[in-house]
Amino acid sequence: MGEALLSSKNQKILKDGFWDTNPITFQILGICSALAVTTQLKAAIVMSLGLTFVTAGSNVVISLIRNFIPPQIRIIVELTVVSALVISIDQLLRAYMFDVSKQLSVFVGLIITNCIVMGRLEAFAMGNPPWKSFLDGLANGAGYSAILIIIGIMREIFGSGTLLGYHVIPASVYAHGYVNNGMMVLAPGAFFLLGIIVWLQRSISGYKES
Amino acid sequence: MNISSTRYTFIFAAIVCVVSAVLLSVFSEGLRPQKELNEELDVKRNILKAVVLQEPLTPKMKGPEVLKVYNSKIEELVIDKEGNVVAGKTPKQLTEKDKDFYPLYIYKEDGQLLAYAFPIVGQGLWSTLYGYLAVEADATTIRGVTFYKHGETPGLGGEIEKEWFQNNFKGKTIYSVKEHKLTPVVVVKGKAADVVSKDESSYHVDGITAATLTGKGVTEMMDRWVRVYDAYLSKLRKI
Repeated sequence: MGEALLSSKNQKILKDGFWDTNPITFQILGICSALAVTTQLKAAIVMSLGLTFVTAGSNVVISLIRNFIPPQIRIIVELTVVSALVISIDQLLRAYMFDVSKQLSVFVGLIITNCIVMGRLEAFAMGNPPWKSFLDGLANGAGYSAILIIIGIMREIFGSGTLLGYHVIPASVYAHGYVNNGMMVLAPGAFFLLGIIVWLQRSISGYKES
Repeated sequence: MNISSTRYTFIFAAIVCVVSAVLLSVFSEGLRPQKELNEELDVKRNILKAVVLQEPLTPKMKGPEVLKVYNSKIEELVIDKEGNVVAGKTPKQLTEKDKDFYPLYIYKEDGQLLAYAFPIVGQGLWSTLYGYLAVEADATTIRGVTFYKHGETPGLGGEIEKEWFQNNFKGKTIYSVKEHKLTPVVVVKGKAADVVSKDESSYHVDGITAATLTGKGVTEMMDRWVRVYDAYLSKLRKI
């Protein structure tokens, strides 16, 4: 190939996934988990790491075998690779990081069904070499993570008055009649936040619906 | 090579199946001893947490230390549905088939009996909840409760694993001496103090906002298991 590891083309891949075609704000993918796991920052961070790892990993595997996959069964092959990767990670966590694995519980399995993973495989890894696919997976994972973490921070602070489990809103504020916003803990709270973030991100990046 | 041919498709699918099956089996089997050890430790840690040790375990305590405390302070028994202790059986030997046998854990400190603990299992909103309930030597007052395994929504039903929720159970009573009846703990919707009278507050605890159904699940499992173990516990009450 003779192309630098971080050539301008590759930098664009990173920037696209993270910003210009951010999986959540631009492609509106992965909304389900963005609502489900963001009531607390810790769960959001763990989910972000898991998804980034799986997207990057499965992108590389699929990219390596992309020229051998029969087109008729490509979706099921992609799904098999993703599932095998996710289950292996789950097993490793259970054996060596039991506490993290308990924290994650159902979310590890949920990664398999996350549209971003399949979306990147179909849109990118099937037509690009492994290193580029790896960068693409990483960038999209990071783009997803950034949104999840922002929402997680806002929801935990305003919904529970804590951040990573530590109280951040002082008791004196509560004494003056402040109450936690119950809606932030529920899915609608995340929807509103997500809407605002999509709006903000799109007005900054200058994206227009065609 | 034509990668669209039926023959190739079948061969490719077969290879993918075999490779992923082998990979997963290796992971699953190779890690099995470690996973089982973790799960056993987790159970023991939670029994110790439910009975509220005089010197609580620290989260940093490693496996062997936890086992040492467990082995020296917890006695394992098996009871039948009439509440009699079954001699020569241990909870470990119980299998799915042993429907009418139940494990019971007794917490002793220097030979003095301090608590009885037993597993509680039930359905929450999304998942099965697993926990332990411990009562004081009077077989009436709750000493502690833990929920250690569940798949409820974090921040909502998932709050059952938090200290604040579990602490609400401490000191509640599962038996009313005045009325001579069982009073398994009920999780109310909202704050217990706003919903029930003072007399009833001895067996009602605060619910979790936006997790009414998980609370209902906890209420149901309390009711079920308190009744099962009452066969044994009722014999201990000095009334």
